[in-house]
Amino acid sequence: MDTEIIEGLKKAIKEYDTEKAANLAKRAVEEKLDPLKVLNAMTVAIREVGDAFGRGDLWLPDLVGAADALQAAMPIIEEEIKRTGAKRESLGTVVAGTVFGDIHSIGKTMVCTLLTAEGFKVHDLGVNIKAEQFVEAIDKYNADILAMSALMTMTAPEQKKVIERLKKEGLRDKVKIMVGGGAITEDFAREIGADGYDPTAPGAVKLARKLIGK
Amino acid sequence: MAKGFMRRFPPLKILTDEQVEAIHRGTLDVLQQTGVLVYNERALNVFKKAGCDVNFETKRVKFPPGLVEECLRKCPSSFRVKARNPKDDLLIGQDNVLFFNFPGTDTVDLDTWEPRSPTKKEHIDLIRVLDALPNVHFLNAYPYFGFSGGVPEVMKEIEGVALRIRNSSKVTIAIANNDIDMFTIRMAKAVGSEIFANPNTSSPLTCYTDQVNACFLAAEYDLPSMIWDGATSGGTAPASLAGAVVLSNAELMPYIVLLQLLKPGARIAVANLVLPQNMTNGAPAFGEIGVSLHNVAFNQVWREYGVPTVSSSCGPTSSKRIDFQLGYQKTMPTLLSALSGSSILQLYSSIYGEITAHPVQAILDDDIAGMIGRFLEGLEVSDESLAIDLINEVGPIPGHYLGKKHTRKWWKKEQFVPRAADRLTYPEWAKTGKKSCIDYARERMEEILSTHKVDPPLTQSQEEEIEKILKEAREYYRKKGMITDAEWESYKKIIEK
Repeated sequence: MDTEIIEGLKKAIKEYDTEKAANLAKRAVEEKLDPLKVLNAMTVAIREVGDAFGRGDLWLPDLVGAADALQAAMPIIEEEIKRTGAKRESLGTVVAGTVFGDIHSIGKTMVCTLLTAEGFKVHDLGVNIKAEQFVEAIDKYNADILAMSALMTMTAPEQKKVIERLKKEGLRDKVKIMVGGGAITEDFAREIGADGYDPTAPGAVKLARKLIGK
Repeated sequence: MAKGFMRRFPPLKILTDEQVEAIHRGTLDVLQQTGVLVYNERALNVFKKAGCDVNFETKRVKFPPGLVEECLRKCPSSFRVKARNPKDDLLIGQDNVLFFNFPGTDTVDLDTWEPRSPTKKEHIDLIRVLDALPNVHFLNAYPYFGFSGGVPEVMKEIEGVALRIRNSSKVTIAIANNDIDMFTIRMAKAVGSEIFANPNTSSPLTCYTDQVNACFLAAEYDLPSMIWDGATSGGTAPASLAGAVVLSNAELMPYIVLLQLLKPGARIAVANLVLPQNMTNGAPAFGEIGVSLHNVAFNQVWREYGVPTVSSSCGPTSSKRIDFQLGYQKTMPTLLSALSGSSILQLYSSIYGEITAHPVQAILDDDIAGMIGRFLEGLEVSDESLAIDLINEVGPIPGHYLGKKHTRKWWKKEQFVPRAADRLTYPEWAKTGKKSCIDYARERMEEILSTHKVDPPLTQSQEEEIEKILKEAREYYRKKGMITDAEWESYKKIIEK
């Protein structure tokens, strides 16, 4: 039974089946499976998809499909981890989102998916996120890393606003900040006081590891 | 009147009549069933009054098919646009084909191919080259998005319009973000020119307030509008190209309905920047064949509507250099769009996406435009061109045609001579420094920059009016908090200079 649910969940993620993934996650909870074991299986599945994407065997719609399936199952399992008080191991906690005024989600979703696959605990806030929402989430989740995306030249300065807000709230030094998106350059990242920038999603994962020394 | 190219043969069709009808029905169906989000109170009221199903709370507007069709019928199939010098007036539609440029945020170093922000001089140089090139019929908004040195983001395009008006007599475009068209439309008016209003759709199925306001400004100032749709098929539009045409059409229609309700007979061209998505990195797949398939189908559908089309996806490529890939990624969409009935082709000066543009590229593009334009004009079949008498007269070898009067007259008519291409024989090429088309284009750029003068330059009072509007704009955005104190300090130094 256990194996059937876990293997089914892995398969649902790899077949981009959102509904099946959510149902199997619920069943895992009902059957009292070890939520950490389930989470680990999900991470393995998304890593396989991420690796295939990296090799060029899978494409962006596949990656986003798998991410959606993962996202459908994740909150159910996370809730169970919290309820049982199990100790979850992760490389670190990331809060991510696309800045206020900007609704581009693809790059941000790619980075979040690959970070999850790598073993980070990722809180994807979504798009059009205001500075105060980032700050609140960093505080709430005790994040190690903040990852912000901006695709347009008009919205890029919003990243600076978030950093300034963090300074004001005394949270800047608690978190490593990485920025990305079409409108961002290495120079811009440095100028606004971010800790790192990378133009690609796989590069962002390496950067995240580097920033927290893992 | 600006001399465009006249297409003298029926346009390429890729769809059957039934397929065109299916796309049209699909468009009406989406507009009626799902409708669009309209974040603009004034427009919601106009739509409500015209009989649309409007939900003021959710901002959702659903359109009765009859209204959409009625508004389409009100669009003129051709129209004129007035420039400040009549030589640059535009005729849009009637198989007349025009060209203009595609923007870039940056210029590019022609040796390292690294992008960087252009200086103010480089920004002006690109405008001057575009003004000088004969087949650039009007200028897009931002040839570059501003220039280096501390102009606040919101003022970049307002300063840019002032530079275009000062350095070119050609018609330009007023983009709508952050109300900046409130100022740029007045600048054009001050010099006696019309300017295109430029509402942009947001995919999927959303109309933001600034873009909708552009329609109200177009009606108030009686301006022509160029409505832009830039969905990405597979991302913000269906991956199937027919579905992407349906979606982009459904996004363009609300603007057409609004413009025609505000001013029946309003002049409209629809611009197609729909691009497939690169499924490796999420960027648009510039210059790939899906671009052309979409353009050709889109053109065919809109020809049925009698609304002139703009093919905006001709200019940007995925190449970072001026190279073989750039050449085919520009030529294929431009040629196929031209053959399928585009009224306007947005080809010039861009290199990679909306990132890099360069005057040298614009000069190379002038040859692509010249070649395609020449093709559109087709070939004449007459007694004189059939040349039967001449063929009989010259007869077999050793007869030849080189010294004939007929040859002197006809070769120039039939051939288009590219200005920047390497057309030399090997010995000539070796002797003249082994130059490429890029070298020739660089030489032509230098020549244009040292000799070209805008015709006519602005009068003293026009200059003063432009300055006055710039000043008002600066104050407006200072008050709105869109120019911070720190930005203002460095901006002030540039203004004083």
